Amino acid sequence: MKTDSVAGRIQWALLLLFLQAGMFGQTPNERVQAITSALQERDFAKALQSVQSALQSSPNNPQLWMFQGLAYAGENDSKSALASYKHAIRIAPDYLPALEGAAQIEYEAGSAEAIPLLQHVLKLRPDDVTSNAMLTVLAEKNGDCATAVEHYVAGEHLLDTQPFALQGYGACLLKLNQTDKAIEVFQQLVAKQPEDPQSRRGLAAVQLATGKPQDALATLQPLLDSAPDVSTLRLAAAAYEANKDTPSAVKTLRDAIVKDPRQVALYVDFAEIAMDHQSFQTGVEMIDSGLKLQPNAAPLYLARGVLYVQLADYEKAGADFERAEALDPKQGMNGAAQSMLAEEQNQSDPSRALATVRAKLVKQPGEAFLWYLQAAILSQKSPEPGSAEFQQGLDSAKKAVTLQPSLTAAHNVLAKYYLDSSQNELAAKECRIVLEKDPSDQSALYHLVIALRKTNSQAEIPDLLKRLAKARQQATRQEGERNRYKLVIAPPEPAR
Amino acid sequence: MTISRRSFVLLSLCASARQLIGQEQGIASRTIAAQPKPAPSGRPFNAHFTDIAKDAGLHFPTIYGGIDSKKYIMEANGCGCAFIDYDNDGWMDIFILSGTRLEGDSPEATNRLYKNNRDGTFTDVTQQAGLKAVGWANGVCVGDYNNDGFDDIYCTYFGQNRLYRNNGNGTFTDVTKEAGLLDTGPARWGAGCAFVDYNRDGHLDLFVSNYIRFSFEHAPVPGEKSTCNWKGVPVNCGPRGLPTGRHSLYRNNGNGTFTDVTRQAGIDVATDSYGMTVVAADFDEDGWPDIFVACDSTPSLLFMNNHDGTFREEGVTRGVALSDDGMEQAGMGVGIGDYNLDGHLDLFKTHFVSDTSGLYRNDGKGNFDEVTRAAKTGVETRFTSWGAGMVDLDNDGNPDVLFVTGSVYPEVEKTLPQYPYKTPRVLFRNLGNGTFEELDSQGGDGITAMHSSRGCAFGDFDNDGDIDVLIVNMNEPPSLLRNDLQGKQNWLKIRLEGVKSNRSAIGARVIAHYGNKIQAQALVSQSSYYSCNDPRLHFGLGAATEIALDIYWPSGLHEHVPQVAANQLVTIRESTGIVPNRGWKR
Repeated sequence: MKTDSVAGRIQWALLLLFLQAGMFGQTPNERVQAITSALQERDFAKALQSVQSALQSSPNNPQLWMFQGLAYAGENDSKSALASYKHAIRIAPDYLPALEGAAQIEYEAGSAEAIPLLQHVLKLRPDDVTSNAMLTVLAEKNGDCATAVEHYVAGEHLLDTQPFALQGYGACLLKLNQTDKAIEVFQQLVAKQPEDPQSRRGLAAVQLATGKPQDALATLQPLLDSAPDVSTLRLAAAAYEANKDTPSAVKTLRDAIVKDPRQVALYVDFAEIAMDHQSFQTGVEMIDSGLKLQPNAAPLYLARGVLYVQLADYEKAGADFERAEALDPKQGMNGAAQSMLAEEQNQSDPSRALATVRAKLVKQPGEAFLWYLQAAILSQKSPEPGSAEFQQGLDSAKKAVTLQPSLTAAHNVLAKYYLDSSQNELAAKECRIVLEKDPSDQSALYHLVIALRKTNSQAEIPDLLKRLAKARQQATRQEGERNRYKLVIAPPEPAR
Repeated sequence: MTISRRSFVLLSLCASARQLIGQEQGIASRTIAAQPKPAPSGRPFNAHFTDIAKDAGLHFPTIYGGIDSKKYIMEANGCGCAFIDYDNDGWMDIFILSGTRLEGDSPEATNRLYKNNRDGTFTDVTQQAGLKAVGWANGVCVGDYNNDGFDDIYCTYFGQNRLYRNNGNGTFTDVTKEAGLLDTGPARWGAGCAFVDYNRDGHLDLFVSNYIRFSFEHAPVPGEKSTCNWKGVPVNCGPRGLPTGRHSLYRNNGNGTFTDVTRQAGIDVATDSYGMTVVAADFDEDGWPDIFVACDSTPSLLFMNNHDGTFREEGVTRGVALSDDGMEQAGMGVGIGDYNLDGHLDLFKTHFVSDTSGLYRNDGKGNFDEVTRAAKTGVETRFTSWGAGMVDLDNDGNPDVLFVTGSVYPEVEKTLPQYPYKTPRVLFRNLGNGTFEELDSQGGDGITAMHSSRGCAFGDFDNDGDIDVLIVNMNEPPSLLRNDLQGKQNWLKIRLEGVKSNRSAIGARVIAHYGNKIQAQALVSQSSYYSCNDPRLHFGLGAATEIALDIYWPSGLHEHVPQVAANQLVTIRESTGIVPNRGWKR
């Protein structure tokens, strides 16, 4: 979601508002005129000088503090600007310009502090389009789509003219599984801005996410017919692949790479397609090309490491994971990859794999995937319920889902621990969490059937069995599709 | 839960948690890591297996499709075998099915009946018995469908299945047509079969699983489709990508004929499975036989008997259709027994390479928990596995597990030597604490020998009080593993004879009480892989010198037989008790 233009608009709207509007009575006119003139001329240093001089004599004048905030903002000193706005608010809690200024800075910083400020603005000015829009975006960013939609609906008649707000609204509808409505919103967006590639890509992305790759391709076609940019090509490649047209997906991705050979994500996309089609060596070769141009791109090492694991080349995989971690120590997935590699290499000795995972956990105790991995490895040992190992596995799975509630694999492993210890209702609960995110997760469906059978809750089972059968067929079909193509790197054209 | 190489996609290249399970191209395999092997128990294993097939006169190879390559899956799955006492002399004879070749019938290609000479050797009596038959045979089940006291044979085929009536004079007659069992539509691929008295009228009915709907004209060839590759090597296609078979139930009319009751009985609801081995037994202990069908690359089926001539399919709900993480597996063979000595019938199902075979513990109500890893049988994933038995090989009173293995892709080993076509037998010794220990050379040369095996049958061909094993090897002579058991463990062998129940007593469930143990066994007409075991139930007793029996006859009658002395065969007639044995000599 792009907000720069909005932020800019707000900044200058504020400025104009206060340059034109009536001033606080206590401020001598000549001082204010000097400050506003300086601000109008974007001479922020001069404005600051005037404001600070004025504040010597009127330290409790909120307008002067607000001016100081504006001047600091003009100087790109957001921290001082925010402090000035906040000072103004402390003096006059309902002082709208200062509230708006502070809200804007917090919003731009992506801070949750923006929310109470914007809510305060809305209390004072309920129809404020920008605040509703910002709250929509913030709520969407925080994953609170229900609130985002609420804010959007509250100001819909105003917000539907704001493309960024429409996008946030649409994205949230998608997250709330209101797919038809989401598509409608993005269609509205495209209708409003038919030439805007971003809106078109947004619609295509939603269509793709809702399993309509053909529609996505139709949406993208006008862009593809002209001179598509890399983002468009990347999205089109994903749509082709989802539409089971792997040759077009690969060709489109190659076109994107030719256009922007330094974009790491394109190589990663290619590797993912290679992975899906069990063309691991081809994936490795493409990543190699990317690394020639971006030798310090951690995601490329991570991707290649994963491909090496598929090829059972653990030494190279390990080297890649280590390199990825060295390049991007904050990326928790590297540690997880190293831990999984240890598990893969030590199938006959899970204790060694566990030691690796535990060592990583010491360094990254907040990495949910590592906790999941520990739970899964312990689960493979089939510990007796009640044993220390069982409890540790159970606790690890719990920790993983607490740290990352969206990690469905962890919920699945937790469900299994609960099933194994006859805590069938808790198992069912975990399965339902997974199924909310992925209604066709076979493990969750199966474990839920078993949990319900064991709790004598038979009513739901027939429907679950149908869903499981459907999920199974779908998985088999998808597997077949994945196996339809093998990716190969074409030999270079012979030199003439 | 399992982690595999493919689980690395969980990391996802885009960090979105996606779960893919490695389903191999034409066949379901979970591609999971084997469980680590625990330290050896150090306990001696007294059973020792020696392949004596050659000396016993079992010379003929089991012809089954190409030797170095297989164009169609028809050539790959192989067939079963049976221990059958066809002449009622008290000694187990041998019946071995056969396939043929794509390019034309080989002169050696026929099912074969070998008469037990009671001296460790056999004589091929196929011709005189009237059992010479060439075709793509798959499964065999044995039972006395007409209650005349002689066991009959049913064979499944690609094409017409065959019912052979035992004439009681050493010969058989193909009575398929007069029994009303001729198919009228396109050729079907009959797979597993089981005689089962599902309506408890005293006459053995017949359940037949079907594998795929296949025709040579329309079948794809290696490499043609995504389902025709394995690990990048073009191989025979399927079963995925080929239409599933439909299973059939035939009611015995009591007059030598059968009526197809598939639809009325509710069997036709299962339309989405590649059916293989069939095991019919009373899993929920309600006195009525249920039917389990191991299925390849689709959920296995468990038909529960409704006591009114109909069944309800509940495999998934009862925990025996899928892996413990809800995935399809390539179900091939089935062993049935009571591994944990709780008096309930558990199941062991064999699968494809890179997957564990599954051990399913029955709670006595027909609900199963997969306990593969808990029981430590998850240590073995190296082989594509077929015929299996849950039988007490060392007579210590704890049923062991033995299964045979062999790849379906002879062409793969040329490219990928880590996947050989011929592989050894797998022996799991029951440690008596709910877990198993895998043994190799401790089981003898018969265990470590490499073959591409399919069906196998468990029985005591030399009447020496232990379990021997007959094994079908693809395009090789069979193996006959003689168990040279050391030590002084006791045993009891029981032959049941139905009166109100069907004469073969198929479907009977016996609970044995010995020492401080109880053990359940069922008399079934098919298990392992498309095969039929010695119908005499064999209990190893360890140090116990006597045994008490609870017999649950197929008719519903429950009889208790107290204090039977060990180390003998007893024949028990329904409502009468122990009667003299027929032909048994030691």
